[in-house]
Amino acid sequence: MKSKLAFVLLLTIFLLSACGTTGEFKVMDAWARPAASGENGAVYFIISNATDTDDILLSASTDVASAAEVHMSMMDDNGVMSMQMQGSVQVSSGESVTFKPGGLHIMLIGLNRELKVGDTFILTLQFEKAGEIAVQVEVREQ
Amino acid sequence: MNKRLSYTPLFVLSAVLGVALVVGIVFRTPYTFHGTVIDPPLPVTDFTLQTANGESFRLSDAKGKIVLLFFGYTNCPDVCPTTLATFKQVYDRLGEDAQEVRFVMITADPDRDTPDKVAAYAARFNPEFIGLSGRLEDLESIWSELGVFVEKQDTGSAAGYLVSHTASVHVLDRNGNLRMTFPYGTTAIDMADDLTQLLKQPKQE
Repeated sequence: MKSKLAFVLLLTIFLLSACGTTGEFKVMDAWARPAASGENGAVYFIISNATDTDDILLSASTDVASAAEVHMSMMDDNGVMSMQMQGSVQVSSGESVTFKPGGLHIMLIGLNRELKVGDTFILTLQFEKAGEIAVQVEVREQ
Repeated sequence: MNKRLSYTPLFVLSAVLGVALVVGIVFRTPYTFHGTVIDPPLPVTDFTLQTANGESFRLSDAKGKIVLLFFGYTNCPDVCPTTLATFKQVYDRLGEDAQEVRFVMITADPDRDTPDKVAAYAARFNPEFIGLSGRLEDLESIWSELGVFVEKQDTGSAAGYLVSHTASVHVLDRNGNLRMTFPYGTTAIDMADDLTQLLKQPKQE
């Protein structure tokens, strides 16, 4: 009797987890460091893809800068840091990609206003499948 | 005499000795630096560069203080602000000891970074931070002496060229010698601990 119950329970869990793969596609915890007007800036966030399809980040745009580009900082064995522009960033199904200092970031080029701690602004990310996602970016120290 | 010796005092004694031994070993272990230690420390040739309002900064004027040298450029959006934000945390953690440390950013991009620009950029993180630029030949000799790699890179960015550069922080001790480097990503806690330790060491006369 008990084992039958356990079997049904297991089966239920299995079925639930099987149809649970179509979750949300979202961009979380977007932030930028303070920067002066005229300078460049960087935006960081986490893209979480809980859907069952792969997606690709294609581009970014914002009103606060003359251009927004996807960049990646990379350090070699000698401690030399280089930045490289990324054509696109793959966000596979069931995975999340973290944009963080010293790695992937959105480079804001030519800020047209000062970014002060506590300010917020909108960054629009263009994805191949998810389309346009507008995220609110918070300006903070870290 | 009672043949049944009580073992309790013996046990307590050995336990106390054991703990004392462990504590002794822990406290005798020399401090291990988080940064990459340069042993023996390397003397660094004196230099003069420019900061805000036409003023100059001479390295030897900072003798007696620890000097942190970071090489970056003001167009850099990611690594340079991250390092300066770490400097700011280090400054705060050090408390009064921060007065014994000079936080310096030297440009890796003199073509675009005027002394005023670098100075303003560094000061935005903390008014005590020093930003320096100068003639290319002066900068090049500093870069090469400290093994700092600098290279312009045209990546097709709307920002114009980017600059690849050594991102580690160079630590000059109070005698003006290169003593340590902090690789990029060293936490403020680790840097502050190392600096506090360095400040405990006596200055040479």
